[in-house]
Amino acid sequence: MSLTSLVFLLFCFITILIYFVIPKKFQWVILLISSIIFLFYDNLHIGTVVQALLILIPSYIIGIQIEKNSNTKKGKVFLIAGILIILAQLFYLKYTNLFLATFNHIFNLFKIDYQFDFVYRNSLIGISYYSLIMISYLVDIYRGTCEAQKNIFKCALFMSYFPILTSGPFIRYGSVGNELYEGHKFNYDRMVRGLVRILWGVFKILVISERLGMFVDSVYGNLELFNFAFTFAAMIAFTLQLYTNFSGSIDIIMGISEIIGIKLPENFNLPFFSKTITEFWRNWHITLGAWLKDYIFYPLLKSDLMQKLNEKSKNKFGKKVGKKIPLYFSMLIMWIIIGAWHGGAYTFIIGSGILQFVYMFLEDTLGPISDKINKKLGIRKDVFSYKLYQVIRTFLLFSFAMIFFRSSSLSDAFDIIKNIFTINLSTLFNKEALLSMISNMGLDIYDFAVLIVSLIILFVMQLLARKRDVREKLLEQNIIFRWGILYILIFTIIIFGCYGAGYDATAFIYRGF
Amino acid sequence: MKKFIKILVFLIVFVIFFYIVHNLLWLKPTTISYFYDEPKNSLDVVYIGSSNAYTAFNSVLAYNLYGYTTGFLSTDCQPFIYVKYLLKESEKYQKPSIYVIDLALATEEIDNFDEGGIRNVIDSMKISQNRTDAINDILSYREDINKKDYINYYNSFLLYHNKWKDLASINVNIRGNTMLYKGFNYGKFNSIFEPQEEYIWSDELIQLSSENRNILLDLIDYIKNNNINSIFVVPKRYFEEDDNKKLNDAIRIIEENNLKVINCNTTEKLNNINFNTDLYNFAHINVYGATKYTLWFSKYLKENYNLPDHRNDEKYSSWDSEYKRFKDNFKKITDKEFDDVLFEYIKN
Repeated sequence: MSLTSLVFLLFCFITILIYFVIPKKFQWVILLISSIIFLFYDNLHIGTVVQALLILIPSYIIGIQIEKNSNTKKGKVFLIAGILIILAQLFYLKYTNLFLATFNHIFNLFKIDYQFDFVYRNSLIGISYYSLIMISYLVDIYRGTCEAQKNIFKCALFMSYFPILTSGPFIRYGSVGNELYEGHKFNYDRMVRGLVRILWGVFKILVISERLGMFVDSVYGNLELFNFAFTFAAMIAFTLQLYTNFSGSIDIIMGISEIIGIKLPENFNLPFFSKTITEFWRNWHITLGAWLKDYIFYPLLKSDLMQKLNEKSKNKFGKKVGKKIPLYFSMLIMWIIIGAWHGGAYTFIIGSGILQFVYMFLEDTLGPISDKINKKLGIRKDVFSYKLYQVIRTFLLFSFAMIFFRSSSLSDAFDIIKNIFTINLSTLFNKEALLSMISNMGLDIYDFAVLIVSLIILFVMQLLARKRDVREKLLEQNIIFRWGILYILIFTIIIFGCYGAGYDATAFIYRGF
Repeated sequence: MKKFIKILVFLIVFVIFFYIVHNLLWLKPTTISYFYDEPKNSLDVVYIGSSNAYTAFNSVLAYNLYGYTTGFLSTDCQPFIYVKYLLKESEKYQKPSIYVIDLALATEEIDNFDEGGIRNVIDSMKISQNRTDAINDILSYREDINKKDYINYYNSFLLYHNKWKDLASINVNIRGNTMLYKGFNYGKFNSIFEPQEEYIWSDELIQLSSENRNILLDLIDYIKNNNINSIFVVPKRYFEEDDNKKLNDAIRIIEENNLKVINCNTTEKLNNINFNTDLYNFAHINVYGATKYTLWFSKYLKENYNLPDHRNDEKYSSWDSEYKRFKDNFKKITDKEFDDVLFEYIKN
């Protein structure tokens, strides 16, 4: 069920309507029923039901056992068992082919005449989300930051709360759990705010992201038809496509939850204004970053293994450099996991994992050198032009990494990179070649015009959002202006949105993760 | 209460805007969508069927000759199953003296109609139970259409909302313009199809497929049960041998049910339609063929169905202006006066 489909809108409308009609005591049951319907909407068969139960039942039982055995070795054993059960399923459903591909590469390397066939498993929507959410649930109980849920159905709701299944954000039981179960009264202002956010999200996906996708698909699918400039533009376009698609989905999810009365953590904070990759990741998919820091990075850094490494490296390289080695090592592991979480392929591990680590490593190690050079050359860092340079640099570095994220294989990614760096200026001035590329770019002049105007609107909104809550400001305005803007937004989506049979069905980019 | 009223007003304004946008972007500019623009009960003849209807019968010429008005509910590649639903649709808005039903595609298997042929009808019809029934009916025959795509048939706006591009293009005849020549569409004026071999109508008979037979019988039942005055017409054109023979079966079934049917291919008075000069392509006559057909068929209708003459009625002045427009354009393209052509045909 796509977040921008009519079916989903209707589904949400009915859910919310029933939610506010029934007594508060039973409201969570409606959310659970809706979540179950959503979970199995496209994919109901015994295999997927077993998948869901194989995470829910062990998590529920182990959660209670961890609580009963808190601060004991037994509790730790339960925790490890719970995590392994969840991870086993996640790996089985998502990463089998990654391992098979690795073995096949190794066999090739050693000239062993055997290749594994890939397997295609039918996994439930949102498996990457609810698996990590349930791991955090167990860990939090173990740490004593939350209590185990004694009602298995409530536990099921926490695991499967339908709005977040497609794209997050990651929720923590301690902060969101109770909000799911306690009832909420209908609130008009909350509804209006939620609807505005949903509309903005739908606009970002249907008007901008899908259009960018048409161009990106054309270039990535027919690389031989395009020169370096178009390939470079496709690289940029994909980053914007990913952002508008992902953040648009989050807007829809947050809007729905806001109407219901459930406050979810924000997942984006104007990432394209970041001046470094480190800052970028503090503003992009915030809840994933926070999850990995809390449940992987810090535990790993504090682990006995890293403490030993810390001691050894300090002895060998001195205090200043030595203490950084376990830090970088933990970071590398975390980024490989982030990459792998995005998908069971090396393209993801490189694009959204290792390359991001490399950027951060370089920022950290070369930063002081760069500062010294700037100082010597008299380059001021506090002026607009330098900040702009930093923002553009960060954007381009991230976009470059996303080439791997978007490509279906490493060789495809290298082809894209090769095309970008095969700079042949004559192709820019050859009218016929240029016209041919324009005609193949997947967008006609009208779509292109709509895209440019929409991107300008998005940019202006992002600029405004740096200083104020745009939604709040809009809702403060007089009714004619306020409604006028809302009608323009609604009809822009209705008329210019890429939906229906005339376009490919909208598919959320993060949906498969 | 105040907030409830606010929501209500917001929704009402939305519905009004949506209605405007919907009408602008959805309805396809076919003879069906323009059919709705004709004043209520203003049409004396309604011609239903495939493109063989609106390319063959010059409605503005018929008006000029006899003063009665003809509306079309005919579309390109129209599945024959839709005739019943278009009859129902017409009954809501018009009370014509006679319905003319084109039989050209009565032999075509329902699976062979592409999405365009289906959409030409359903996307031009106003939203109603009749339209829903028409969609249900064809979808029940079409196992090749994915059930997930059904929504695109019921709510064609999902498909056509991107027609804003057409609105942006000044060359496109968007809905809202007057329909040229009241629906008569003659393709290319001076285009003449050169046949490969001599064509002779065969009297042999092959049974219609059971599906097509049932569709025809269903239509006949509807016509008889509702006392609808109708006449079936097999147009003058080339037919594949099998279609020719199946049409003979269709004619037999219609006649056995005591309904009127004309086969233009065996009508002596239409022998003046010369396949060497009067065809636009394999399946359609051109404007010259259409003129000959209209001269004969308009007279036949006038003589047999007691049709009124509106020529001096101010309310029907648009028919005069469309006839003038037709003649002017005919002159521009062929460099001939239409009256001269007409006079020559009448003389012969």
